[in-house]
Amino acid sequence: MAVFMQSLLSGILIGGVYALIGIGLTLIFGVMRVINFAHGDILMVGMYLTYLAFTSHFGIDPFVSVLITFPLMFLFGGFLQKVFINRVLNAVAQNQILLTIGLGLIMSNTVMLIFTSDYKILSTSYSSSTFQVGGGVSVSVPLLISFLITSVITVALYWFLLKTDTGQAIRATAQDRDAAQLMGINVKRMSIIAFGLGSALAGTAGALISPTYYIFPQVGSVFTLKAFVITVLGGMGSVVGATLGGILIGITESLSAVYISSGWKDVIVFVLFLLVLLFKPSGLMGKSRT
Amino acid sequence: MSKTILKAVVGLIVLALLLVIPKYVESPYALHMMILLFLSVSQGQSWNILGGFAGQHSVGHAAYFGVGAYTTMMLMHTWQIAPWFGVWAGMVLVVLVALVIGSICFRLRGPYFVLASIAVAEILRLSAINLTTLTNGAEGILATELPAFKVAGVVVTDFSTKVPFYYIGIFLALLTLGITYWVQHSKLGYFFQAIREDQDAAHSLGISISLYKNIALVISAVLTSLAGAFYGIYVGFVDPPTVLGLDVSVQIMLICIIGGMGTLWGPVLGSLVLVPLSEALRSNLVTDLLVRGGVVSADSRVGIFLKENLSHAHVLLYGILVVLVILFMPEGLMGFIKKMASRRKQEAV
Repeated sequence: MAVFMQSLLSGILIGGVYALIGIGLTLIFGVMRVINFAHGDILMVGMYLTYLAFTSHFGIDPFVSVLITFPLMFLFGGFLQKVFINRVLNAVAQNQILLTIGLGLIMSNTVMLIFTSDYKILSTSYSSSTFQVGGGVSVSVPLLISFLITSVITVALYWFLLKTDTGQAIRATAQDRDAAQLMGINVKRMSIIAFGLGSALAGTAGALISPTYYIFPQVGSVFTLKAFVITVLGGMGSVVGATLGGILIGITESLSAVYISSGWKDVIVFVLFLLVLLFKPSGLMGKSRT
Repeated sequence: MSKTILKAVVGLIVLALLLVIPKYVESPYALHMMILLFLSVSQGQSWNILGGFAGQHSVGHAAYFGVGAYTTMMLMHTWQIAPWFGVWAGMVLVVLVALVIGSICFRLRGPYFVLASIAVAEILRLSAINLTTLTNGAEGILATELPAFKVAGVVVTDFSTKVPFYYIGIFLALLTLGITYWVQHSKLGYFFQAIREDQDAAHSLGISISLYKNIALVISAVLTSLAGAFYGIYVGFVDPPTVLGLDVSVQIMLICIIGGMGTLWGPVLGSLVLVPLSEALRSNLVTDLLVRGGVVSADSRVGIFLKENLSHAHVLLYGILVVLVILFMPEGLMGFIKKMASRRKQEAV
C-alpha cells in the first residue's frame, strides 16, 4: 500500500509539470489550430536557459529562474509566431506540422552546436532530498516545489483567461476566429499572445524539471510526444482537459514504472494514447468534433 | 509524341550510364554515395505513394523501415536465414503491422492521423529497446557476414565489394519509381488522388475510403520495408534509433517535401539535394571548403569548433531546409520548377 501511495503521489507531482506542458500546447492549438511539433524543443530551450542562469556567476536557483525564463520564452514564442507560424495559418495542416518540426530541428541542433550533445546535470543542494509524510511515503523536495509553482501558475492562468479582457479575447478567438475578428478583436495579436504564453509555459516546465532531469539537446522529442498525449487525452483545445490529462499521464507513468517496468512505461502511455484516439478521439473534456 | 520519345531515350541513356558506372568507377566512396542515393529514392517514393498520392502524411514510416530491417537482420543473425529469404518474412510482418496501424489510424483525420502514426512508430522503437532477448535491445544487431548468393549452385556474388549492393539499390529505386508511375496512371492512383483532394467528395462518389487508404498504406509499407531490409544488410548493423527513430520518419518525409509530394520525380530530386548535402556536412567537406577558401583558419577557435561539431549538425540543415521550403516553395522543388516554366511560357506569349 505504501508503494502504491508513494507512486501515486510522485505521479501527481510530476503530473503537475506535464499539465503545464499540455496547457501550453492546447492553448496554441485552440487559438490557431496549429499543432506545435516544436513544443518539446521550446521546453528544451527553457531548460538550457535555466542551466545558463544556474551556471553563470549569478548562480540563480532553477526555481527562481522561472522569473527570467517565463518572460524570455514568452518573447521567443511571440517571435516564432510573428515570423514563422503566422505565414502558414491558412496553409494545409501538414505544412504547419512540417514547419514546426523544422523549427524544432533548428532549435535542438543549434543548441547542440553551442552546448554539444553531452548530458548536463543541474545539481542543486536539494536535488535528491526528500522528506517523510508518514506511512512510509516520502516526497521529493524539488518535485514538491515544482508542483507548488505549477499550481500557482495554473491558477493565475485560469484567472487570466476567465477574468481579464485579453484572456476573454483569446478564448473568443479560439471559439470562432472569424466571429472574434468581426467583434473587433485583434486576432493576430491574440495569436502572438497565445503562442507566447504556450512557449512561456513550456519553457517554465523546462525550468521546473531541470533539477531532476538530464539536460540534453534532444530531450525535446520525448516531451513533444508527451504533450500530444496529454492534450489529446484531455481534448484538443481544452485547458481544463490538459490539466487533468497531465496529472493522469503523470500517474499512469509512475504506476506503470512501479508495477510493470520503467522501460515499458512510455509504451503504456502511447498505447493509452491510441486507445483514446480509437474510442474517444474528442478526449475527456473535448466537445465532439464536427 | 516526339517529346515522349525524347524523354524515353534520355531515360534509357541515363539508366544505361547508371548500370555501367560500377564497371568504370572503382572508388568505394563514390559507389557508397550512389547506394545512399538509391536508398533515399526508394524511401522517398515509398512514402510518396501514401503521403503524396493518397494524401495521408505519415510521420511514422520508421515503423515499416525498422520492421523490415530488424526482421531481415534478426533472421540472418539468429537462424542464419539468407536476407533474400528473410526479406519476405519482413514484408509479411510489415503488412500485418500496416493493417493494424491502418485500422487504428485511418479512422482519424489530419493531425490525429499524424499523431497516431508517430505513436505507433514510437511503440515499436521502445519495444525494440525493451525486448532484449529478441532484438538485443539498445545494443542493436550486428551481422556483417552475408552468405554468397547462388543461382543453381553457381555463385553469383559473395558481397565482398559494394558492386552487388549498387545493383540491388538501383533495382529498388527503379522498382519504387515504376510502382509510383503505375500508381500515378492507374485507376487505383486516381482513387488515391481523389481521396487526397476531397475525402468526402470521393466518398460520395462511391470510393471506399478506408479500403483505398489501406491499399496505399500496404504498398507504401511493403516498399519501405524493402528499403529497410536493404539498409540493414548493406550497413550490417541495426539499432533502435537508426532504423526506428523519429528522425528516420522525418528524413523519409523530407525527401518528398523538398522534391515535391505527389510527383513522380519529386523524391528523386529531393534525394539529389539531400544526400549530397548531408554527406558534405557529415564528412566535414563544408569545413574543409571554408578553411581552404580562407574564410576561417583551421587552427582558429572557430575552425576547430566547426571541425568538431558541424559534422554532427547535418540535421540542422534539414531543419533550415524544411522551414525554407514550406515558407517559400510549399510545392517542393518540382512545384517551383513547374511554376518557373509556366511563367516563362506566359512571358514568351
